[in-house]
Amino acid sequence: MATDTEFGDLSNLSFVLNKPSDVTFETKPKPTIQSPYDVLVKVNYTGICGSDVHYWVHGAIGDFVVKDPMVLGHESSGTVLKVGDKVASVKVGDRVALEPGTPCRRCTPCLSGHYNLCNEMKFAATPPYDGTLTGLWCSPEDFCYKLPEHVSLEEGALVEPLAVAVHIVKQAEVKPGQTVVVMGAGPVGLLCCAVAKAYGASKIVSVDIQPSRLEFNETFAATHTFTPERVSAEENAARLLKETDMPGGADAVIDASGAEPSIQTSIHVVRRGGIYVQGGMGKPDITFPIVALCVKEVTCKGSFRYSSGDYKLAVELVASGKVDVNKLITGKVKFEDAEQAFSDVKAGKGIKILIKGPNEKET
Amino acid sequence: MATPLTNPAVYLYGPGEAKIEESPYPTITDPHEVILRIAYVGVCGSDVHFWKHGGITNKVSHAQPLIMGHEASATVHSIGSSVASLKPGDRVAIEPGRPCRRCKPCKSGVYNLCTRMEFAASPPYSHGTLRKFFTMPEDFCYKLPDSMGLDEGVLVEPLAVAVHAARLADVKARQDVVVFGAGTVGLLSAAVASAMGARKVVSVDINEKRLAFAKDFAATETFFSPKGSTAESIADSIKGQNSSLEGFDTVLECTGVEMCIDAGIQVLVSGGTCIQIGLGMPKVHFPIVALSSKEITMKGCFRYGAGDYEMAMHLLESGKVNLKKLITGVKKFEEVTDAWEATARREGIKTLIKGPEE
Repeated sequence: MATDTEFGDLSNLSFVLNKPSDVTFETKPKPTIQSPYDVLVKVNYTGICGSDVHYWVHGAIGDFVVKDPMVLGHESSGTVLKVGDKVASVKVGDRVALEPGTPCRRCTPCLSGHYNLCNEMKFAATPPYDGTLTGLWCSPEDFCYKLPEHVSLEEGALVEPLAVAVHIVKQAEVKPGQTVVVMGAGPVGLLCCAVAKAYGASKIVSVDIQPSRLEFNETFAATHTFTPERVSAEENAARLLKETDMPGGADAVIDASGAEPSIQTSIHVVRRGGIYVQGGMGKPDITFPIVALCVKEVTCKGSFRYSSGDYKLAVELVASGKVDVNKLITGKVKFEDAEQAFSDVKAGKGIKILIKGPNEKET
Repeated sequence: MATPLTNPAVYLYGPGEAKIEESPYPTITDPHEVILRIAYVGVCGSDVHFWKHGGITNKVSHAQPLIMGHEASATVHSIGSSVASLKPGDRVAIEPGRPCRRCKPCKSGVYNLCTRMEFAASPPYSHGTLRKFFTMPEDFCYKLPDSMGLDEGVLVEPLAVAVHAARLADVKARQDVVVFGAGTVGLLSAAVASAMGARKVVSVDINEKRLAFAKDFAATETFFSPKGSTAESIADSIKGQNSSLEGFDTVLECTGVEMCIDAGIQVLVSGGTCIQIGLGMPKVHFPIVALSSKEITMKGCFRYGAGDYEMAMHLLESGKVNLKKLITGVKKFEEVTDAWEATARREGIKTLIKGPEE
């Protein structure tokens, strides 16, 4: 029976957003096992995502508005503390990657294999649901993925953005030998390049305005890089295709930037009959080259978070060494330094900064 | 006079051995559940198999008797606290399998393949719908339109089987389709193919009465397969009747009979698709080289999954498929074994069993 003394030696200190730019550390009540399928986990590491920073700065993303204080964070790894009676795939002590969204399992999207589009998704750090920048976290068994022995907890925290990239590349239907262009070389853009490589793409062109990011990607996953200029989308596209020797256009173009000029350029870069995937989120409404889409018979698809099979594949990509997520980790900070880490991410420092859980011992 | 049973149910103890006995009165254990008062239960070929052999893969036994029945309609008796789309008194068609919602098939949109599916009337523990009260999750109960009777509501289940098959085949407008078998599933498969825009729908059977019904119900033409037929003679004759075609685009195989499966592959045009719905012998003699060299796509088809009941309800509400004609007999609850025997004798098309009276 769970009492206050169960896991009494563990802290449930949490990083709470009260309103924009107002964050505090608070001890929250420890979560407990509610269902025989639940797993209670001690959070080891949490990565910071652009969305976390956005809530911190603006207090809202689109229709999702932070009305009450909310714990931030959703990219986490942890260690299993306790399991419900029916849990079979993980046991106490196992290290896991956490998939931070619990769908209802009953609505039409859930039943048809698109649980990422669940009508009643409870997603960590999307209001009103608390996130994982906390001590203890309770998850359904099927959203906890055991990490193989040789995969570290730090790498485990990168599984979440990698799963986002997996979902995007699956939407793009990348096949061996195809050519892929990825707009944006932030963590998701970088990981999309890596996943495209794992899917056998022969050319992977990374596009960004920051030279340091492109330089990094040259040794990470890209075969080519491209820096756009302040010219029209058509002109940037034409130069990109010339410099990368893709006269007919790229088979698949992925936007991981959300930036209007990148989206416009993408439609001019993709080949006739190709696929364009919108992964990045920026301005809600933009000017879009609709006639080019039509005449070139481009398939344009949205991509949102991750769904069936994506997390499992992400863990395998890390475990097999096909994607070296370690290279993206540029900082690890103590839980108490979380706010500084958020500032650093906002300032564009590094690639992925991890925040240690409040129960991590200093080494 | 014995005390009336609170939840009378038909238990099968073994081949030829069924009894009406008390079953546990249901309680709502999950806020998303509803308790249903069963109105009608249909008889399926699988029920007949259970009656004659005690089961298919797993068998019933004296130690573990099983409540039979899976094709059912009902009225809502009571609802759990989270139920929003149904209220007591609503008339519904039932999708009689509870998936676990957690395994890989469930989460990837093929819950019909759930590793822990609890399907009505599956030995040893998953009891069926031949009882007064039955519990189901809300999302597996479908409100019947006012124009549809509770008796017709039973046929939504086999219609969903046909919908699942036609969707797997991805029947497109103006395609030519052959349906093997003119039993309930074959008739409904022909009707769904037609509703999806098929041009020719050829219904094949060995029973002339069923073929006459098929022609009236959904098929554009029929083919009677006489005694002494071979797969080649069947395929050649069907193609002969349609000499302007190179072959057919889609085959919906609803018999499970080896000769029909073989003929199906032969009657297809190169690049065609065959959907295997019928269940017969586990292993059959199969024209594998024809499949290979004609680049045929063959898919298994099992029950129904995401979106099938919804499409079945749409076909009924819009009048594209009419089910009343398929009901050829209604028996009282106490006459359940008569209903199974009648179906075994291939009497009529669909025989229904009424739920227990008050």
